[in-house]
Amino acid sequence: MLFSSVGFLFRFLPAFMLIYLIVPAKYRNLILLAGSLIFYGAGEPYFVLLLMLSVLVNYALSRYMFRKPRPVQQDDAEKSAEGNTERRKSALCMALIVDFGMLFVFKYWDFAAGIVNSVAGRSAVPLLMLALPLGISFYTFQMVSYQIDCYRGTIDRPAGFVSFATYVCMFPQLIAGPIVRYEEVAARMQNRKIGVRNLENGLKLFTVGLGLKVLLANQIGTLWNTIMSAGAGSLHPAVAWLGAVAYSFQIYFDFWGYSVMAMGLGRMLGFKIPENFNTPYAARSISEFWRRWHITLGRWFRTYVYFPMGGSRRGRLRTAVNLFVVWAFTGLWHGAGWNFLLWGMLFCVILIIEKNTYGKRLEGTKVLGHIYTLALIPVTWVVFAITDMGQLAAYLSNMFGICTTGILAGTQQLMRYLQQYWVLLIACVLFITPFPTRIYRKCRDRWYMVIILLAVFWFSVHELIVGSNNPFLYFRF
Amino acid sequence: MKNNKKRKRNTENDVKVNDRENKSVKTENAGKDGAAAADANAPDTKAPDVEAERATDENAKENTEEDVKEGLKGIKRRRLREWGEILYNCPYLIAVVITSAIVMICPGQTDFGAIRSEARSAIETSVIGGALKGRAPFEQVQKTGDGHENDQENIAGIDDDKTENEGECKGESGGNGQNNNEIKDNMNDNNDNAVNGDVAEENPINAENTGNSKGTIPEDAETEPIKGVTRFKIYAPQKIDSYYYSDAGKIALTTEYPYKKENISYFNDAAFLGDSRTLGISDYAGLDEADFYCDSGMTIFKILDPEGVTYQKTGRKVDLSSVLKEKRYGKIYIMLGMNELGYGNTDMYREQYRKVVEQIREWQPGAIIYIMANLHVSKEKNNAETEFNNININDKNAASALLANGTDIFYLDANPLFTDAEGCLNSELTFDGVHLYAKHYEVWKQFLMEHAVEATPDGQSAGTGNGTGATD
Repeated sequence: MLFSSVGFLFRFLPAFMLIYLIVPAKYRNLILLAGSLIFYGAGEPYFVLLLMLSVLVNYALSRYMFRKPRPVQQDDAEKSAEGNTERRKSALCMALIVDFGMLFVFKYWDFAAGIVNSVAGRSAVPLLMLALPLGISFYTFQMVSYQIDCYRGTIDRPAGFVSFATYVCMFPQLIAGPIVRYEEVAARMQNRKIGVRNLENGLKLFTVGLGLKVLLANQIGTLWNTIMSAGAGSLHPAVAWLGAVAYSFQIYFDFWGYSVMAMGLGRMLGFKIPENFNTPYAARSISEFWRRWHITLGRWFRTYVYFPMGGSRRGRLRTAVNLFVVWAFTGLWHGAGWNFLLWGMLFCVILIIEKNTYGKRLEGTKVLGHIYTLALIPVTWVVFAITDMGQLAAYLSNMFGICTTGILAGTQQLMRYLQQYWVLLIACVLFITPFPTRIYRKCRDRWYMVIILLAVFWFSVHELIVGSNNPFLYFRF
Repeated sequence: MKNNKKRKRNTENDVKVNDRENKSVKTENAGKDGAAAADANAPDTKAPDVEAERATDENAKENTEEDVKEGLKGIKRRRLREWGEILYNCPYLIAVVITSAIVMICPGQTDFGAIRSEARSAIETSVIGGALKGRAPFEQVQKTGDGHENDQENIAGIDDDKTENEGECKGESGGNGQNNNEIKDNMNDNNDNAVNGDVAEENPINAENTGNSKGTIPEDAETEPIKGVTRFKIYAPQKIDSYYYSDAGKIALTTEYPYKKENISYFNDAAFLGDSRTLGISDYAGLDEADFYCDSGMTIFKILDPEGVTYQKTGRKVDLSSVLKEKRYGKIYIMLGMNELGYGNTDMYREQYRKVVEQIREWQPGAIIYIMANLHVSKEKNNAETEFNNININDKNAASALLANGTDIFYLDANPLFTDAEGCLNSELTFDGVHLYAKHYEVWKQFLMEHAVEATPDGQSAGTGNGTGATD
């Protein structure tokens, strides 16, 4: 079920909220869990079983990690502590194997098998051709973060089963993040109250996200679509750049919109879901961009991969190696394909260069940093967007003026695109600046905001009904 | 229901206070229920917010005493004020709830009508929707008939008797009796064929049917020299639970007619009306002389609106109705239906299409009207869970194909050129699963040139005798 669908907005959400608010506070987690499973099951009737299974297994392992042996005598204490560490370690290993194993089988098996087969020159490993369970990358990462936090002692008391399952399955963030850490919701999981203000502000935030998704991302997405339909390889450089910019807008407003909707829903339910974006396109270097884009994913990789490997404190070479590992995984996390790996590597190279040379200086500049970032970002998104390597090469060469097959979309088309999309493009440019967020925060409670948001809401709903389809880009992952 | 929700929530917010207070308040306010007592306390919580919880606790006792002093009247006033404050604190929530309620309850056909139907439970939809659907289209189709179109399709029957049939873009050709009763060819002279399912076997939709669609002249051709026949490929429909469409159980095929192959000058007096796919033809097929009136997202419902549609030669919006009144066209190609997949249902689409074609016929009596089939979408885009799928597209196409009379209105199906074995748009020909890559429009152009109906000097196709228009 999509947040931006009539079924969710007018059927699931009101019905769910009604029940959620009626039931006594102590049953709310249970209701939320049930609601989330229905939400997930509506789209993935079979994979919901997989989700439930992996929640069960993870919960059992985390409990096993916490089981305290009772030392009978004083001298046994040391021994049991040792055994305790041992057990915790094995439980964590098991959990990691189960979680990543599942992710690997569903997401990466065919990709890996393809590589093995091409190396071997024969079909040594069979392809599984499995469908990707919705949101598996997100919920797997969330469960892993829970397990590691348990192991490290960041979480000192085990969560109850319903709390844990609700934490993983909670529908606002189940299928496309943000990747929440348990400690962020632990307190509210036990005790939360939903006031009128929370509902009001949550709904407002949700509307903002809906507007970003439907009125900006979906609309500008058609420009990218149109340009790609002209065919990579036969584009005028200006058209190719316009397409890249359009896609950059689309993916940002799409994902940001989703995250804001998740935050809004979280607030309506009484939770506080962390921010996932902080005006990334206003960054002055690519490093800064990644501190502002998909914050919860970056945080995950930093906390559980980059820092344990030593981060940037073990010399330049080791830092470069660490960055390589992190970015290879980040790339692959976004999809099992060469272009995603290439995309990760592109960032790896840029970040290593920035770290060692001009990064800090660039962030100090007023204009140059912005130009640098805004010029690089569309290129990286093109690498991200086009999964076919041949097409990708064709598109990139088009961007830099190389066109072998003859231009099909030239200046004439460019003028038409600009004529058709100029209002939208200006709106998109405005919304990548920090100002709309600032203005919203300031004027949220003003009376005219109600009217604006109401207009946004119904305009979005209208677009949803009239427009035929609106998938979330990040649902693929 | 929505208002209820609000009230419930308020009560809920105060449940804690309520529990605490009940003991003390009960004695004084005998006969007053718990909720009322809770409401009486509420003014101090202002917005019963999370943060306000503690404050409420402390003020609770004081409150009770005040309540007693004030008496019942004062409490009532307080309660009113409390409600007012809650309302004051969530104007947006209330606005959304109220407007939703209005949209849900209000009758009349707006764009938002779909919310009502989608939010309705499945049972309701099948019971009420099915009953409603039964009649209307039947009447419309009878109105449509201009002598040739004895459409005997019983839509009510389709709705009720659909066999549950697993199948993707197209099912197996339906040979069983049940379906044959429901689905008839729209030309009375080949009913027999249709009933036996012969058409289905002879003309598999995916084969290049440009060849075998030529040269078929129906037997009753004595009255009118050449008349095209529009056949349908029949299959067993599956049951669809959707407001937007049903499985028609048939795929419309290109009108069979001895088409001529023309060169590009054939399109010099042609107009193309359509959506983003027609825009693609405009952009990439190289039909520079033809007039294109199209926009992304255009629908059959909007095409004749005064707000207009973009005339691609100038890039300006024009009012198509006044253009068609003024200018003479020899051929008018229409391809609309993609953006209608999730807007209104097929019956509305059929009715509107008929209106548009009749209107154009009135304004352009001499023009040959080509109704072009909407191209299917790719396998990846073909989503049975939404209304965005090839069954729906076939449903829309079949509805529009009923208008083809074989004399001056023809139905052209280019799908066989671009679809795979399952009837889905070939994934290699498209980026987004909906639009062809620019380079493939050449194929489409060839198809259109090969499917030209020769216009007689007075601008008529060979078969028609009415109309006075002349091409320029």
